[in-house]
Amino acid sequence: MPTDTKRLRGPDVSKSPSLYFSKPPATVASHGPRADGRQRDQVDIRPIFVRCGLVSQAKGSAYIEAGNTKLMCCAYGPRETERKDETDMKCGRLITDMRFAPFSCPERTSWIQGTQDRDLSLMLQESLQPAICLHKYPRSQIEVNVMVLENNGSVLAHAITCASLALADAGIEMYDLVLGCSMRQDGASYVVDPSYIEESSCSSDRENQGCLTVAFLPSLNQISGLQSDGEMTEATLTTGVRTCIEGCYKLYPVIQQALASTVRKAAPPPSES
Amino acid sequence: MAAGFKTAEPLEYHRSFLKENCRPDGRVLSEFRTTTLNIGSISTADGSALVKVGSTTVICGIKAELANPAVETPGKGYIVPNVDLPPLCSSRFRPGPPGEQAQAASQFIADVIESSEVIDTEDLCIERGKLCWVLYCDIICLDYDGNILDACVIALLAALKNTKLPEVTVNTETSTPEVNVEKRSLLHIHKHPVAASFCVFDDSILIVDPTDEEEKLSTAQLTVVTDEEGQLCSVHKPGGTSLSGEKLQECISRATARQREIQKLIDKVIKSIKTAK
Amino acid sequence: MEVCRSSAVSLREFGCEQSLLSRPDGSASFVQGDTSVLAGVYGPAEVKVSKEIYDRATVEVLIQPKVGLPSVRERSQEQCVRETCEASLLLSLHPRSSLTLVLQVLHDDGSLLSCSLNSACMALMDAGLPMSCLFCGVTCAIDYDGKIITDPSAAQEKGSRALMTFAIDSTERRVLMSSTKGSFSVHELQQCIAVSQKASEKIFQFYRDSISRRYSKNL
Repeated sequence: MPTDTKRLRGPDVSKSPSLYFSKPPATVASHGPRADGRQRDQVDIRPIFVRCGLVSQAKGSAYIEAGNTKLMCCAYGPRETERKDETDMKCGRLITDMRFAPFSCPERTSWIQGTQDRDLSLMLQESLQPAICLHKYPRSQIEVNVMVLENNGSVLAHAITCASLALADAGIEMYDLVLGCSMRQDGASYVVDPSYIEESSCSSDRENQGCLTVAFLPSLNQISGLQSDGEMTEATLTTGVRTCIEGCYKLYPVIQQALASTVRKAAPPPSES
Repeated sequence: MAAGFKTAEPLEYHRSFLKENCRPDGRVLSEFRTTTLNIGSISTADGSALVKVGSTTVICGIKAELANPAVETPGKGYIVPNVDLPPLCSSRFRPGPPGEQAQAASQFIADVIESSEVIDTEDLCIERGKLCWVLYCDIICLDYDGNILDACVIALLAALKNTKLPEVTVNTETSTPEVNVEKRSLLHIHKHPVAASFCVFDDSILIVDPTDEEEKLSTAQLTVVTDEEGQLCSVHKPGGTSLSGEKLQECISRATARQREIQKLIDKVIKSIKTAK
Repeated sequence: MEVCRSSAVSLREFGCEQSLLSRPDGSASFVQGDTSVLAGVYGPAEVKVSKEIYDRATVEVLIQPKVGLPSVRERSQEQCVRETCEASLLLSLHPRSSLTLVLQVLHDDGSLLSCSLNSACMALMDAGLPMSCLFCGVTCAIDYDGKIITDPSAAQEKGSRALMTFAIDSTERRVLMSSTKGSFSVHELQQCIAVSQKASEKIFQFYRDSISRRYSKNL
């Protein structure tokens, strides 16, 4: 492996102390209430905290906190495309970059982007693109950067919500907001908005195991992105999609309110008198 | 009108303020922006701190891992600081590996850690020659509005003060380490280095805690790091126009005052966390 | 090759050779004791569009270590050398062009940054670039007894409590660049600056002698 000469390096090998824990880590029960007190088999999403316009340098920015999942998104642009050789000059380009802070996961991750980050960036781009009026921005690019500060599950879903908020804050013309929601199917039961442990736990080799993330345009009632992994029956998948849409509708008022308060702050309504 | 003047003649715009001994954001020349601190907000990290100096925002997360000590220093652990300026924090940074500024900042932080002896690396040794801690101090800028070095040093110091390492014993039979998560102890912080940055305008006017715009227009930058005993840990001036001895003295005395302010702030925030618990 | 033996403020024997490379626009090698750095300057030349500055030249400095690839430490030294050069060069005379300075470390025996600065200045002079002043680098080490050693060797650097490198300009003898390691008091800092200023006299005299000797030969 080539050495990274652009960062300070520690020892060649270092191991996470979690490998040597004297007690085995707590396993997640596949029935009964969830560790954080939420209900299983119900659209019980974590309460979220959202704020727009926190970053002074960005055109638009948003911060979202759902339980312990914390992420931040900045939108820049529209600005001139860097790649001049692009054939479709009539239409703008959306560039997404999603990164995890090295300390965001229980195990430290390397600074160098892995395949997971690139996959998520691509998913994010594909989910956001249908919602943006890209034809209004010919020969220009819009950049969306997401930084995951703490990962406690459902990162992609929240990144989609956060990114669409940042784009709206940047004043980019859009057809609709994009909301994300994810669920994990575990045999007959399911959990909505899973935490990190729930996401990665695999109870036993039963059938019908999988994760599903849906990106949803709430006022158009359309799905712009869908990612599913694992093995699920057709019936489970359709009900799963419906569950996620329901979850998105639960988020919608909170997001609307956050956006409205940002707009109100930027341009206060004229006083009554 | 003012906005147009600012865009067309940024230097003249700033000069007209400096003539009146104030700055576009309403500060006087020797005034720092409001500094806020949030300690321990990231639960996946062993220690963390978020610092805001004006709108400049920096987050530092510390992750501890186990490693073998280097052969030449068998009784010492490692501290590996890295500063990242992602494209998220300002439109001037491009995606990809860290640029010169980020690398220079990483080296500066590493030098401050080594010079100030904020942590004795011997404290990080668990068993001589066999096992030690590596502290990965990853500092990420979330909003770049100038004076990144000051914010990085505060974030690092606050995060180190928040870091709790689990107790580790080496099993004598299997010679594998055993980590006791329930028993965590704080790191021993020997010194409290704090940085203060200055900018020189038009070769003569000295301003404190520059914003991004002021940094761009200035002719020289200077960062002074002091600890609580008034010792200097770093006088970092990477070039630019020259500075007279009196001006330098002025910077140093301002830096010592800043050190006291920040140490008080950190202690206050840590205390408020303890009482909240 | 010019050689200067120093006495009062003890500097190691230092020397310099200019225009020793044929391809670059200016080149110099500077030797301080066993430390030696080779510098080459290219420019003013065409600049990449992304790096173009509309009202002045873009300066780039590359430091190549003796072995291996440049790392983060070299990058921070590059920043120091670049900003020092930017302060002394009259860059607005060459807008929208590039100046590239390549420093190859031949041997490191302490005081590397000051040797790099000195060779950079000699190379810039050799390239005939317009400058507002000259600069030189001086390294001081404070040992555990509080004694100040100028131009320390690698062994002396190792046995020191603090290490400081300053770039001094030739017009007012003021500090252009400062880079320090280790902790020290304000008084020690001032002492070191004073010593460096004294040492800089000697280096500037050497600059003058070697240039005048070189041109008297040519004419």
